[in-house]
Amino acid sequence: MLANAKVCLYPRDQQEAVRILEEYGGQALVLAGGTTAALNSDPAVTTLVDLTRIGLDSIEEEDGEWSLGCCVRIQQIATHAGIAGLCDGMLSTAAGSVGSRPIRNMTTLGGNVVQVFRWSDPPVALMAMNAGFELMGPAGSRRLSADEFFERHPRQVLQRSEILTRVYVRRPQGASGGAFIKYARTAFDLAVVDAAVCIELDGRNCSAARVVVGGTRTVPWRSREAEKILVGSRLTKAVMRRAAAAARLETRAAGGVRTDGEYRRQMVEVIAGRVIEQAAQRARERS
Amino acid sequence: MDIHVEVNHQPLVWKVNPGQILLDVLRREGYKSVKFGCGQGDCGACTVLIDGQSMRSCLLLVGQVEGRSIVTVESLGNHDQPHPLQSSFVECGAVQCGYCTPGMLLSAKALLDENPKPDEDQVREALDGNLCRCTGYKKIIEAVLRAAERMRS
Repeated sequence: MLANAKVCLYPRDQQEAVRILEEYGGQALVLAGGTTAALNSDPAVTTLVDLTRIGLDSIEEEDGEWSLGCCVRIQQIATHAGIAGLCDGMLSTAAGSVGSRPIRNMTTLGGNVVQVFRWSDPPVALMAMNAGFELMGPAGSRRLSADEFFERHPRQVLQRSEILTRVYVRRPQGASGGAFIKYARTAFDLAVVDAAVCIELDGRNCSAARVVVGGTRTVPWRSREAEKILVGSRLTKAVMRRAAAAARLETRAAGGVRTDGEYRRQMVEVIAGRVIEQAAQRARERS
Repeated sequence: MDIHVEVNHQPLVWKVNPGQILLDVLRREGYKSVKFGCGQGDCGACTVLIDGQSMRSCLLLVGQVEGRSIVTVESLGNHDQPHPLQSSFVECGAVQCGYCTPGMLLSAKALLDENPKPDEDQVREALDGNLCRCTGYKKIIEAVLRAAERMRS
């Protein structure tokens, strides 16, 4: 409960939302799905700013590029036919692995990727899909790549009074394949490890690969070592096994109540190995 | 501030602090079917329908529901005229202690409103956010499937 919040404002467009955030500064709390705001009890918050009415709650396609508004609910993404057709449905799978049905009905894409909690599975898929992130602030709008957006925690990447407005994903060209796997102790639990891979083939060899691991650090990260092994090579079982082992060696994972660090590193190898193999198989079917 | 809502098709104006939790406000306003379980979005006892979608009232601030339509179990049926879901829950033995039942009924209602002919997997998916520590779920799932069948005929 936010006991000192006396007002809730309902901006009608993104410019108005940014103006309100500028005016109220640290006294304002942005609400989208609200699932984390409800557990917040910051006494400094006097004003709530509800972003769900600024018209950014739809999924649209233009020239092969899909645009997802920041207030699209995770369940909408999990069940959208167009999104299911992108990169072998890896974003749909990732969205479908978030929490439970009522949580997916509430949680928004924007809240999920800006907060990147340990239960935020979509950022892992979005990073593998090389998504674009559009931000809007007092100085206007700017667009970041997934690598830039998740370089640090997105809350540090967003500037003062800046909001995430849209996420863009594009259908890859040519012979490509994607896969996402969340590995958790139960269907509802947070990931011990999740991994997502996009692979492109040029003839027999891999021409591009994005291998992304989540669940081990605060933000998802690309295993550049695994990518180096894959790109330029023929994707034999041995090559894919070496890439998965490289991802394990690159993993920095702390232990916790769910699992110790060593187990998590070993699971990175297993899960990364599976997604690489699945994505490669799907890409081969298209080449 | 004033929050305008429709609860069970009845338009209301609440004078509240927008940072209050919707669950607390609903119970204070007399909607006692909405239960407090874990208070952090895990158990589903506080499930309500907001514009037809199952959501956790313990994770919503009341400011967020301005202009929205809320449905609680109070609108489903009563002792003399139960909703088909309520009668099938009773017949199948899907209620033991009863604490999770309002949330279960609403998640099931949201499913049947959207999909009148769900299969067992779809029922499980729709109820995946409602924990029950008594029944073992089997009878709840049977009850939802039986209600769906009855509502179709």
